Amino acid sequence: MTVLELSTVSKRYGEELAVDNVSFQVEEGRIVSLLGPSGCGKTTTLRLIAGFEVPDGGDIRIRGECVSTKRPYERNVGLVFQDFALFPHMSVEANIAFGLRERGVPASKFPERIRSVLDLVKMRGYEKRSPQQLSGGQQQRVALARALVTQPSLLLLDEPLSSLDAKLREALRVELRQILTSAGTTTIIVTHDQSEAMSLADHIIVMSKGRIMQRGSAEEIYSAPANKFVADFVGQSNWFTGRLDGGRFVTEDGLSIAVAAKAPGGAVELGIRPERIAVRTKGAIAAVGVNALEGVIEKTEYLGSTIHHWVRLANGRRIHAVVQNNGQCFARDGESVQAEIRPEDCLVLAPEA
Amino acid sequence: MKLTRGAALVIGLVVAVYGTLLLYPLLRVFEDSFREFIPGRVGADANSPLTLTNYTDLLHEAYLSYLWDTFRIGFIVAFLGVLLAFPIAHFVARRRSDWLRRATIGLLITLMFLSVLVRVYAIELSFGPTGFARDIAPLFGEQIGSRFYIEFMIVLGLLHYSVPMSVLVLVGTIQNVNPRLIEAAQALGAARWKSHLVVTLPLSGRGLLSAFLLSFTLSISAFVVPMILGRGKISFVSNLIYNRFSELANFPSGSAVAVVMLVISLLAIYAVSLLASSRWEGAVR
Repeated sequence: MTVLELSTVSKRYGEELAVDNVSFQVEEGRIVSLLGPSGCGKTTTLRLIAGFEVPDGGDIRIRGECVSTKRPYERNVGLVFQDFALFPHMSVEANIAFGLRERGVPASKFPERIRSVLDLVKMRGYEKRSPQQLSGGQQQRVALARALVTQPSLLLLDEPLSSLDAKLREALRVELRQILTSAGTTTIIVTHDQSEAMSLADHIIVMSKGRIMQRGSAEEIYSAPANKFVADFVGQSNWFTGRLDGGRFVTEDGLSIAVAAKAPGGAVELGIRPERIAVRTKGAIAAVGVNALEGVIEKTEYLGSTIHHWVRLANGRRIHAVVQNNGQCFARDGESVQAEIRPEDCLVLAPEA
Repeated sequence: MKLTRGAALVIGLVVAVYGTLLLYPLLRVFEDSFREFIPGRVGADANSPLTLTNYTDLLHEAYLSYLWDTFRIGFIVAFLGVLLAFPIAHFVARRRSDWLRRATIGLLITLMFLSVLVRVYAIELSFGPTGFARDIAPLFGEQIGSRFYIEFMIVLGLLHYSVPMSVLVLVGTIQNVNPRLIEAAQALGAARWKSHLVVTLPLSGRGLLSAFLLSFTLSISAFVVPMILGRGKISFVSNLIYNRFSELANFPSGSAVAVVMLVISLLAIYAVSLLASSRWEGAVR
């Protein structure tokens, strides 16, 4: 069943089009992420869904009911803010009971509902604490509990991990995913952090300048980006401008790389992910069909789990390669190497308009 | 702790200045309030015997009514002032357009600089016997000269101070309330007015208290407003003190009234802040 449906939604602030003709649907129980840099319209989209903004055009439906002009309190949407926004003058219990009372749940049901939601977020025993006595991660779990206790049709999370400590973030990401999965609520997560989107959501919508750039699973978005913006925002790439000529990509300065793209000939951009480039000693025998570009290591960064190389190619271009630190010896600065690229790892995209 | 000579000098100087300019006059009033009044003489004789008569005289109900009027009206004004100021302060604090905020704050500050006489006579002109209210008041069953109507005029006069001051105090308080909290309340199902009632209001507790106490202290020490608008029917304790000192030249009695007023004011303010701080403990970080 479709829980949320946006059709051709637009929102304008003065001259600026913050959300430009956005349409998407979210099915029951799915976790969808709106991913994009700041100012891409993802937060405005969230606020439109929550009801804090009214769209200038288009239609927002929750479970089939048009809510475009409904007030936030007239929609059954749970919201977790970036700073959690727990009521500082109320205990954990009172924070959670707030929504139950406002939604008209009989008071006799409160203890049981509060207990089960605190079990879900693993915060039993903290009922009487005040929000100031909790750590950032605990506050987030209480904010989740407060949003989930009313059993909303839709849960909205605004940058759920960005106000937390960098070290905590990874651990809490796993925990958050667990809570969301066991809650089973349809969820939309707004974030600018690609790893947050990729680990939490089963479906990602990439936005830029108020428009949807691409939608798909994390894998689809990473391995087959629709355009250069998506390829650059989700991960890194080495970019070359040139043209396709009979299954080969050629540049004016003499680079020629076999690619697997079925795209028609003509001007294209070629993107190669750094971790898809293998760096091997010069003269090693490459597998059949694999491109081997000769070059010299110009700079190396040793980052522990990975090693970054910048290789100066024979035609003067520099490419960035990342290799796993598997404990074996790796190329040093000044060494002659060959950068090996498989044709299927080449992202062939239409040039930017 | 050892004091350097310089520090001792500075502290000594400060104590001397404050002592002679502020503390000594107050002590003189305190002392006078215990001296016997000799009719026909301005001020108590320094050698006259100590007495409590000046205080026991005040227990007469005529005096108590002054105190009652002063504190009752002061309380009403402070309460109404904060009530009226809150929406204005909220409007100023949450406005996106900068010029509107500045214009409102500028207007309020200008209002505070206006001479008390100008305000009092402005109110007299509009609501007094010659003003437009003359024809309206009877519709509410009130006469211009009635006690209730005079009290209404005094409240109006004092609100001229209480409202702008409360607004200025509350703007900062409301700005400190995270607007996300109000949105959170609305997302949880609270209507807009309700979200302010349960979030903005309790989180502004300290500011509301400060605004209330400032209005209250200013109102109970008002002098010109009750003197002119009160028409002799309602007088504040300040008017009584003035009357004792300047018209009857009964310095000991005036001093006693002043001391009683001071003590009651301090007690009242202490009680209100004690009550409020226990209520709002933990509400604000």
